[in-house]
Amino acid sequence: MTMETKAPILTMEHITKEFTGVKALKDANLDLYPGEVHALMGENGAGKSTLMKILTGIYKKNSGKITYLGKEIELKNPKEAQEAGIIIVHQELNMMNHLSVAENIFIGREEKSFGFWLDDKTINQKAAKLFEKLGISIHPKEIIGNLTVGKQQMVEIAKAISYNARIIIFDEPTAALTEAEISELFRMIEELKEKGVGMIYISHRMDEIEKITDRVTVMRDGEYIGTVNTHDTTKEEIINMMVGRVIYETPKTESAVKEDAPVVLKAEGITMSPSVKNASFSLRKGEILGFAGLMGAGRTELARAIFGADKMEKGTVFIHGKRVEINSPMDAVKNGIGYLSEDRKRFGVAVDLSVSENSVLTALSQFSEFGFVNDSLAHRTSKEYCEKLKTKTPSVHQLVRNLSGGNQQKVVIAKWLIQNSDILIFDEPTRGIDVGAKSEIYTLMNELAQMGKSIIMISSELTEVLRLSDRIIVMCEGRITGELDIKDATQEEIMRLATLREQTV
Amino acid sequence: MKNKKILCCLMALVTAFTVLSGCGMGNPSQKTVEMVAKGFQHDFWKAVKKGADQAGKDLGVNINFVGPEGEGAIAAQVEMINNAINKKPAAICIAALDTTASLDAVNKAKANNIPVIGFDSGVPGAPEGTIFANASTDNYKAGELAAQKMYETISQKLTTGSSRIGVVSQEANSQSISMRTQGFLDKMEKLIESTGRSVAIIGHTKFSNGKTQGDVIIDVAIPPEINDTQGQTSAQTLLNKDDLIAIYGSNEFAAKAIINADAAISGGRIGNDKVVAVGFDSGALQIDAIRNRKFLGSVTQDPISIGYRAVELAVKAMNGEEAEDVDTGSQWYTADNIDSDAIKPLLYQ
Amino acid sequence: MNDIIENIKTKGMQKFIALGALIVLYVAFSVFGNNFFTVDTLVSIFDASYYIGFLAIGVTFVIITGGIDLSIGTVMMCSAIVGGTLYNNMGVPLWLSLFVIILVGGIFGLLNGIMVSRLKLPPFIATLGTMMVASGIGSIVSNVQSTTFPMRSAADGWYKNIFRTADNFPTGIFVLILFTLLAVILLNKTVIGRYTYAIGSNKEAARLSGVNVQRWETVVYVISGLFAGLAGIAYAATYTTILPGAGQGFELQAIAGVVVGGTSLSGGVGSIIGTFIGVFIMSILKIGLPYVNLQPHYQTLITGIVVIGAVLLDIYRTKKEKSIKSKS
Repeated sequence: MTMETKAPILTMEHITKEFTGVKALKDANLDLYPGEVHALMGENGAGKSTLMKILTGIYKKNSGKITYLGKEIELKNPKEAQEAGIIIVHQELNMMNHLSVAENIFIGREEKSFGFWLDDKTINQKAAKLFEKLGISIHPKEIIGNLTVGKQQMVEIAKAISYNARIIIFDEPTAALTEAEISELFRMIEELKEKGVGMIYISHRMDEIEKITDRVTVMRDGEYIGTVNTHDTTKEEIINMMVGRVIYETPKTESAVKEDAPVVLKAEGITMSPSVKNASFSLRKGEILGFAGLMGAGRTELARAIFGADKMEKGTVFIHGKRVEINSPMDAVKNGIGYLSEDRKRFGVAVDLSVSENSVLTALSQFSEFGFVNDSLAHRTSKEYCEKLKTKTPSVHQLVRNLSGGNQQKVVIAKWLIQNSDILIFDEPTRGIDVGAKSEIYTLMNELAQMGKSIIMISSELTEVLRLSDRIIVMCEGRITGELDIKDATQEEIMRLATLREQTV
Repeated sequence: MKNKKILCCLMALVTAFTVLSGCGMGNPSQKTVEMVAKGFQHDFWKAVKKGADQAGKDLGVNINFVGPEGEGAIAAQVEMINNAINKKPAAICIAALDTTASLDAVNKAKANNIPVIGFDSGVPGAPEGTIFANASTDNYKAGELAAQKMYETISQKLTTGSSRIGVVSQEANSQSISMRTQGFLDKMEKLIESTGRSVAIIGHTKFSNGKTQGDVIIDVAIPPEINDTQGQTSAQTLLNKDDLIAIYGSNEFAAKAIINADAAISGGRIGNDKVVAVGFDSGALQIDAIRNRKFLGSVTQDPISIGYRAVELAVKAMNGEEAEDVDTGSQWYTADNIDSDAIKPLLYQ
Repeated sequence: MNDIIENIKTKGMQKFIALGALIVLYVAFSVFGNNFFTVDTLVSIFDASYYIGFLAIGVTFVIITGGIDLSIGTVMMCSAIVGGTLYNNMGVPLWLSLFVIILVGGIFGLLNGIMVSRLKLPPFIATLGTMMVASGIGSIVSNVQSTTFPMRSAADGWYKNIFRTADNFPTGIFVLILFTLLAVILLNKTVIGRYTYAIGSNKEAARLSGVNVQRWETVVYVISGLFAGLAGIAYAATYTTILPGAGQGFELQAIAGVVVGGTSLSGGVGSIIGTFIGVFIMSILKIGLPYVNLQPHYQTLITGIVVIGAVLLDIYRTKKEKSIKSKS
């Protein structure tokens, strides 16, 4: 590598970032050379996105130093970053669907006379020239919304280049692309390398990393772990760097499920294109079944399909061996399934209702006569469950808004227990919950399993999966890529299965 | 917490404002008569208010005159009536937009021993004993007057061939407007049939006489919504019919609709030697049309007298005297007598 | 040629359906209506289109940004009342009063714009408030009396010629076309228009691209207000007297015209020409239905069905577009 002889275009040193008491970045470092493709890797929540948001001026860092083109900079907003030549191509494309290609590229920088009169001819010509230079065939007058996602991404890249970008950040760029589109993207990345543009490439796809990146920087828990040359390293080494944290929580070593425990839920061939493909699994009484995988692996979608929140295209569900039709959450609730959403504030609790009101929401019919809610019974029951679950709230009349994340989660659990659900689907049960409360939730979940409740737990935290699950199912890109008994499960093995893409099978 | 404080302040302000603005009105030692009109913005109601205020001064009572913003606002008016009753006035005068909607309020007034006086259209069809007395134009008679005057001018044209008379009516719900339309239709039908010719009343089903064919067709148009555009359209539909010889608008809105519609027709259709137009009430546009002899003439009520007589009745009621319904009368006016002393005070711009 | 076909495919389908509907309606009423096919009737259709047309053109801008302006109806009346009161009671010359009418409209627009863009009020609520405020101010200014503008015979009757001459020539249609073209240019050829579409299409993307979203959102509401002022002049010229408290409901008629013309209430899509056609469809229905001897309530019913049909068509079209896209 001759890279080291050149000066880097960007160095980020000792970056820290704190969100109201939570340290998202502790000590993050990154350097980038001209013409380099630099992979940024880490588990979900390792701090990659936060670091990139600081680089592009969306967030402000608390401390640390960013040097760009030899000068220390402090970007205040995305516009400044753009003008400085630091552009991010977002995972979810941020375009104006109803506007044309050229209009999108030059939004905010229109060619105009008298200060308001648009000269679209010029921007169309400029866009056409830009595409010609990049060797892509897109008509500048085409409406963005009519393009495929791959083409839209090309437009975003073209837009980045039109800003004279020195640094382009790709955030999971291939997530929604077809094979042909991916090779087109790689061809463009090669061309940009020639031109000396530095690129930061965020992806979980190992094969891509191996194919196009020069170096890999790994982050974990908001901290810089290390940087290696792609060619001198192996997939396993990178995975080790990503997961190799000291595990404070002791993992489960053996399944607590009895040998003869009956199957309570069986799913067969669940398909919901494009996010879930032919997924089958079973859940036994008293079992905690962990679902591991990377973001976008289709775990939440699978759970929502089983709960009836989204309609599945194909597949059957059996409860206690009997085939059931679940077309809506109402059907699911009737069959004893409860769902605890990953986005608690949006789907889990009604934040402006009280603890008591939330607790009895699902089972409201048990608490009402002739349409009138028996409030005293509701309060009593709610109180009873607060005590059982050790929910910390001054009273059951407290608004859920004022509770901490862990206690909010307990209210949701209480809701499903009051409804008497046998099957509980926990989607990211400890997201947004502080460490102390986490272990309380873990204990609670174990107790529930001992009580005979069956739990499906979707979690992106490997430690959490290893600590709680009796059995682990790993998904990648909508497919179930493996099933591990807890005694055979390791972080490395899960990670391997979670990145097992279809063409490499 | 902070929000609550702001809310408290706001409420205090609103209350203070209401109390202060309430204090400014009337003499507290006098009894108050609440008057709920059908509207406020028409000049007609301003004239009624003028009469009522005069009577208030003459008879020593406070007058509180209110009305909803538009004549379609039935619910708003019912609220106003309820509010008026809640103030426990000595008497209440009502010109109801809709009888059925106002009945509860009227019964409530009776239960509270507040005498109810009807004015203008009053509260037609209210149960026996709930209304003390009415001070109103006999609208049916007024409609007959319009028909009589129109007939005198067009009788020649009615004797041969087939012809059409158009009627624009603001709506079919209000008793007063309906009666003016009905009075006109009945009288006209009678007058024409007395010459041995047949009459068919078509258009809005409420007024139909069951016939669809006749030597003379009376065509009643009612706009689907009470606004200027729809009014004009209804009038214009009539004016565009070739066999139209005369047209009648049964209130200020309808007359305005005819005038606006005519202005939108090249050369105009109405005039004393063309389509004979007869209106009702007054208003700037209508007075102008009469002066220019576009309109043959119009029937006017006596709004000042309506207001005055209503208050008179109210005072009688609170003094426990007996009284009967008062017909406040209607007058025919044309370009010739529009400036006379008898007519001029009754008209409003 | 290919360009034109492409253009129809991508943007204008509903516009062409709307134009077709407009022609079909006019022909149908001409055939089935008594005396509908006359110059005078056409002039009345124009009359009924002026004020609604101005309202609709203005609010099209707002709707394309994904917002809504419910205040235009009462703002129109309030502006006209303010102008009329200045003229009648304060001796302000008529030309200046007319100018003030437009200005007052613009001020209400600015109020809406600030509430929506700076204070982050939902447009529905902000403009609902302004709707009532304008209605109230109109009543206060006029002292709850009707305001009469000069009649044609009066010395200042000249302004009526802006919309219709004494011998019934519909000059107003040219005024309306003029402002329609102006709006078309504004929306398609200037920065204002580009940002109007950009905000409606993806506000966050526009912000991240360095567009001053707050400023342009405000501008859009001001445009809506100014057009409401223009509508006030058209209303005064056509109907002479103005009642305070009136005007509610006109905004919905205007919005209906906009929607019938193919502008999507979810923002990002729409055109002034479409609105122009939509307004005329509504006017032809309004004027034409009485000519086929329909009872009033049936007229309202049919108008409602047309509006629902237009929206369904829009939803169906977007759905189809999406399915085509996902197949490609």
